[in-house]
Amino acid sequence: MSTLKMERTFSADPATVFSFLTQPQNILKWWGPEGMTVPEHDLDFSKPGKWMSVMVNAEGGRYKVTGEVIKVDPPRSVELTWGWHDENDARGHESHVRLEVEPSGTGGAVFRLTHSDLPDDESAANHEQGWTSALKKLERLLN
Amino acid sequence: MSNLSSTFAALGDATRFAIVEKLLQEGELPAGELRTVGQISAPAISRHLKVLRKAGVVEQRIDAQRRLYSVRPEAVQAIGSWSMSYREFWQKSLDRLEMALNQEMRKK
Repeated sequence: MSTLKMERTFSADPATVFSFLTQPQNILKWWGPEGMTVPEHDLDFSKPGKWMSVMVNAEGGRYKVTGEVIKVDPPRSVELTWGWHDENDARGHESHVRLEVEPSGTGGAVFRLTHSDLPDDESAANHEQGWTSALKKLERLLN
Repeated sequence: MSNLSSTFAALGDATRFAIVEKLLQEGELPAGELRTVGQISAPAISRHLKVLRKAGVVEQRIDAQRRLYSVRPEAVQAIGSWSMSYREFWQKSLDRLEMALNQEMRKK
């Protein structure tokens, strides 16, 4: 299992950042890479409970991910589970996400993402798991 | 033309996958040089190439007496856009979060 960590410092204050990370109407302002739409969603990270989203890219590729908000500690942290679904809607490997916010000392906020229990191939939202390594190989050859 | 399911159906065969791999590695090649991928006959190679062409993965160019084959960049782009890593999701989403927060701060 591997862990993905990211850290960013925002000029916005911690309360604002926390609200953007947890409130449904705010999550939709940033959820998913640019160019993707989110036609189906239930994204409320402000309280424990199930969440889901379906993202669609410009080529029509569909990515469904679901999970459960396990713990909310406003305005500091949120913990949730994460699992991509395949094309038959079967939920795959479950990983864990922790979002943390703390004051930066200059009025802004430091944001930390920890996405743990990831499969070791650092893998992807593929509709069929077996393709991951083959695709990686092709993509490597391209670069 | 570049329909993802036909792309994947075409690549689902080990020999065809090896052909595409070799074309990506070495660039444009005549059919004769693709025979080494599976020690297979010339008719078998041309059948595989036909499937790959129909699926839009490979294209053919005629150069004097030779037919040269190469991978269509569009097919590979489609494959690339089909898979999304966790890292890609978060990096790109956090870029957007940063922009949304900056916009919010300007309102205040």
